[in-house]
Amino acid sequence: MAFSHSFEYFRPGTLAEALSLLDQYKGDARLLAGGTDLAVHIKENMATPPVVIDVKRVTDFPGSRVSPKALYLNASTTFSDIVNHADLRKAYPMLWEAARSVASVGIRNRATLAGNICSAVPSLDVAPALLCYDAIVHVASSSGTREISIHDWFISPRKTACLGTEIMLGISITAPAVKHSGIYLKQGRYRGEDLAQAGLGVLITSDLQYRLAYCAVGPIPFRARAIEAVLNGKVLTAELISSAKAMVQDTVHPITDIRSSKEYRLHICEVMLERGLKAVEQRLNGAEFDSAEILGG
Amino acid sequence: MTDYRYIGKSITRIDGREKISGAAVYTDDIDFGANLLYAEIVSSTVAHALILNIDTSEAEKLEGVVKVFTGKDFPYKFGLYMKDRYIFAQDKVRFYGEQVAAVVARTPQIAKMGAELVKVEYQELPAVLDQMEALAEGATILHPDLGDYPHVPWFFPKPGTNVAHWRKTRRGDLENGFAEADHIYEETYEVPRYAHCAIETHVAIGKFDYSGRLTVWSSSQSPHTQRNLFAEALAPMGLSQKDIRVITPHVGGGFGGKAGVTMEILPAALATKLRGYAVKLRWTREQEFINTYQRLGVVAKLKLGVKKDGTITALDHKIYWDAGAYVEYGANVVNAVGLSAIGPYRIPNVSIDSVCIYTNLPPGGAYRGFGYSEMLFGLESHITTIARQIGMDEIEFRRKNAILEGDKTAYGAAMNPNGLLEAIDKVTKAIEWDKEYKSTDPNKVIGKGFSLFWKAPAMPPNASSSAFLKFNEDASINLIISGMDIGQGYQTVMAQIAAEVLGVDPSKIRVETPDTDRNPYEWQTVASHITWSSGNAVKKAAIDARDQILALVERVYHMSQDSLYLEDEAVKCHNQASFNLPLRSFVVEGIATKDGSYRGGPINGRGMFMPEFSSASGDPDTSQGGHPNVHYTVGAGALILEIDKDTGKMKVLKAAEAIDAGKALNPDLIKGQITGGLLQGLATVLYEDMRYDDKGRLLNPNFTDYKIPTAMDVPDEIIPIIIEVPQPDGPYGARGVGEHTMLPAAPMIANAVENALGIRIRSMPITAEKVAMAYKKHREQ
Repeated sequence: MAFSHSFEYFRPGTLAEALSLLDQYKGDARLLAGGTDLAVHIKENMATPPVVIDVKRVTDFPGSRVSPKALYLNASTTFSDIVNHADLRKAYPMLWEAARSVASVGIRNRATLAGNICSAVPSLDVAPALLCYDAIVHVASSSGTREISIHDWFISPRKTACLGTEIMLGISITAPAVKHSGIYLKQGRYRGEDLAQAGLGVLITSDLQYRLAYCAVGPIPFRARAIEAVLNGKVLTAELISSAKAMVQDTVHPITDIRSSKEYRLHICEVMLERGLKAVEQRLNGAEFDSAEILGG
Repeated sequence: MTDYRYIGKSITRIDGREKISGAAVYTDDIDFGANLLYAEIVSSTVAHALILNIDTSEAEKLEGVVKVFTGKDFPYKFGLYMKDRYIFAQDKVRFYGEQVAAVVARTPQIAKMGAELVKVEYQELPAVLDQMEALAEGATILHPDLGDYPHVPWFFPKPGTNVAHWRKTRRGDLENGFAEADHIYEETYEVPRYAHCAIETHVAIGKFDYSGRLTVWSSSQSPHTQRNLFAEALAPMGLSQKDIRVITPHVGGGFGGKAGVTMEILPAALATKLRGYAVKLRWTREQEFINTYQRLGVVAKLKLGVKKDGTITALDHKIYWDAGAYVEYGANVVNAVGLSAIGPYRIPNVSIDSVCIYTNLPPGGAYRGFGYSEMLFGLESHITTIARQIGMDEIEFRRKNAILEGDKTAYGAAMNPNGLLEAIDKVTKAIEWDKEYKSTDPNKVIGKGFSLFWKAPAMPPNASSSAFLKFNEDASINLIISGMDIGQGYQTVMAQIAAEVLGVDPSKIRVETPDTDRNPYEWQTVASHITWSSGNAVKKAAIDARDQILALVERVYHMSQDSLYLEDEAVKCHNQASFNLPLRSFVVEGIATKDGSYRGGPINGRGMFMPEFSSASGDPDTSQGGHPNVHYTVGAGALILEIDKDTGKMKVLKAAEAIDAGKALNPDLIKGQITGGLLQGLATVLYEDMRYDDKGRLLNPNFTDYKIPTAMDVPDEIIPIIIEVPQPDGPYGARGVGEHTMLPAAPMIANAVENALGIRIRSMPITAEKVAMAYKKHREQ
């Protein structure tokens, strides 16, 4: 695989070194974590950064912690790390399911959650989970650290609130205080790895609070708050689900692209909502099943 | 039934260990040392244009660039059946991605950087991206010089139009046939283009040395055909067949995409101008999608007449092929289907028009199935529908009209012996066709789909095979042949044939990949004809060696040849149980006589096969009179499909496929073909689709958006069924099965979708999206 684009390559060992390189090269540098996105873009001349800073060897990112109450995943965390984490799977099933649906094993071994979030593509599988759990993104620059709500993170396709002089350190999630469960539904073109035609995350709590977030059906992943408002405080009934479904057409604004027509996306968003609500309720009540089968595989 | 020692046994592949362990050498693995140069191709960025100027000056200045080439350096035409292609575009480009120039450099990176510096100035012409538009009055003509292109005598181009070839087949009285019908059904079916997606992309290395010899290493299904086409194209440079050597190491998948010559001509030609260097060209996945052969797109208009009792009285089948910018290979796909578009049915009154149409899309060419998948999608969808329309069971309808031995094919020759009825019956039973399938999930429904299939090898009437066989001192054998093992198990089966004749275990037979200098002629590994054709040549070579052995033993021991036979690596005698002469004692060194002199010497066998009964000289207006196809292989398939009504997601719960192999030389390999072929066919109907924008640019030249199945997408259960009605002229009765296994997949899915949901989808692919949206519309109506 030949690259026609040449760039300077740095591989800092510490966060401080990485940040100082970022300052030195200002907007000219791109960060490389797993490289599964950036390397492809450089190969295809879609990205031509003069400088690439590889953060794979940065050893002093704050450590990851997972508990049923809260979770912190640092910037080195790969999707395989998430998929192989039994406690995480149990406490945050939506995030786990989203991670499992990203690409294939080989890519998941390499690709990081941080790199993925920074890529900010509309079809970002983990975005619905982060939006539903109200995640916080932690970033650092040479002048200090700051926290960015996931709700402020996505600006437009491939653009985030993270500045060119900042490095993402990790994300944190605080679990709802009451009993809760979640699910991620992804519609792809086949059973193998695929980019989502549409994705939906659903979170439910025992006090009947609902959180819904879609991906791949708008320029950025988003919470469907109007639908949540209709559901909140109510027990799921066929009528309630019907009225929620009726709101989908006004809530999601997908486009037609090579992966799907706009019409199919709209249709699938309705199907997902109905099945997702029913499934997450069952899961809250202790049912165990593979969410990959819910949409027909 | 004859009792065979090695034939009909599921011998483990002889190339298996080599491939699994990583020992197998593929083209890209070969080390050429320091004098290896890398070529990068500058491709057209427009679908149809005049080339006004090519500025190579900036690229030439780049350090490490050795030389930049354009069409001016190689004003030579080439092509398999019709010479309509140039090595590089000359004054015009005719598809997005066509090769315009090449930068040859010291490293792949410099070559790529150099290619980005070449500036090509185009004057765009209207692009014709649809075959029906290309046929219309006033359409832009892609090849104004079509009338001057050399082609095989059985092609009928229409100069002044975009019709590169028109195969007409007429039989009986069509008008009368439709008059006899109680019911007539007409419909149009569409099939898009497809890509082969072999794991190994195309790669070739050319080297022209100071002795005047051009060697080309290539990943190819066609070493001898490549040599011949290189020699024809490069003849102006003084090269002849003897000067050109094509070496084809192991191939990482072909599926027809590596038949004939596509990009391999580039490093071959470039090398002739860079004496002493090896020049390598390897396609990226994107180039693999854009600039090799693609499966042709099809619009098929079908009109079928039937009586109340289900008898087919007439068929009018018009097939319009989007054959792309150059049709040197693809036109023969059109020809093959034009002779066979009756499907495996007995139809007295037939009209077939198979029209090969130039478009400004990449060249169409060979793809597993050679047009029959496209044709059968329409025909087998149509058959199921018309059976339902007249209230007849679709299997009964197929049984009633199934072509039998001796029935006339569309071109008037007699149908070969075949087990079509047996295939229908066995599939019906295996799939439990009469069983009520019902999903327990309220969101899902289950449908059943059935399809017949047939296909003949499409090849020139004189396509031939040959084989050499050398005995070694220990009675091991080198079998020297030129077919390619592209996964089908060719090497293993050829070893089994030689083993059977010579009484030597297949494990003692080594079959190597070809080198045209040393290996005897083979036309190409295409058309599912290699087991049959090369198998016959190998059998003859083995018989030749056996005859030499027996003649020698007769001469030395004065034993009648009739009493002798070969078994367990020894010559034995029916009349004298104690006689046992090990082959290893004499097959190289000869047999010692009492005076110390020797008789015999190294045993070398030679075999050749050409189907001398075949002829392509049918009447141009009716196709009657010739014998263009050597035989047809037939079969049947059925599947049980689970469909999610809302998402449209489909899952094949169970599939059965029966194929008449004549004689299964190695049953496990055939079962592997059935599984693999079926999966490839299912992928074309469920997921794959080449999508072009309105400028003729492929939108999905990658596996992100061109979906081929993963292990997760394999049907839950596949039941492979082998039928054995011997092919009289096949080795041990065998005929080919390789391509056929994918043929029934698309119509089976279309028929199962209709069975489950009551909607008929007439365009491929039948994706989840298409099913869901069609069903939604159906429900709303």
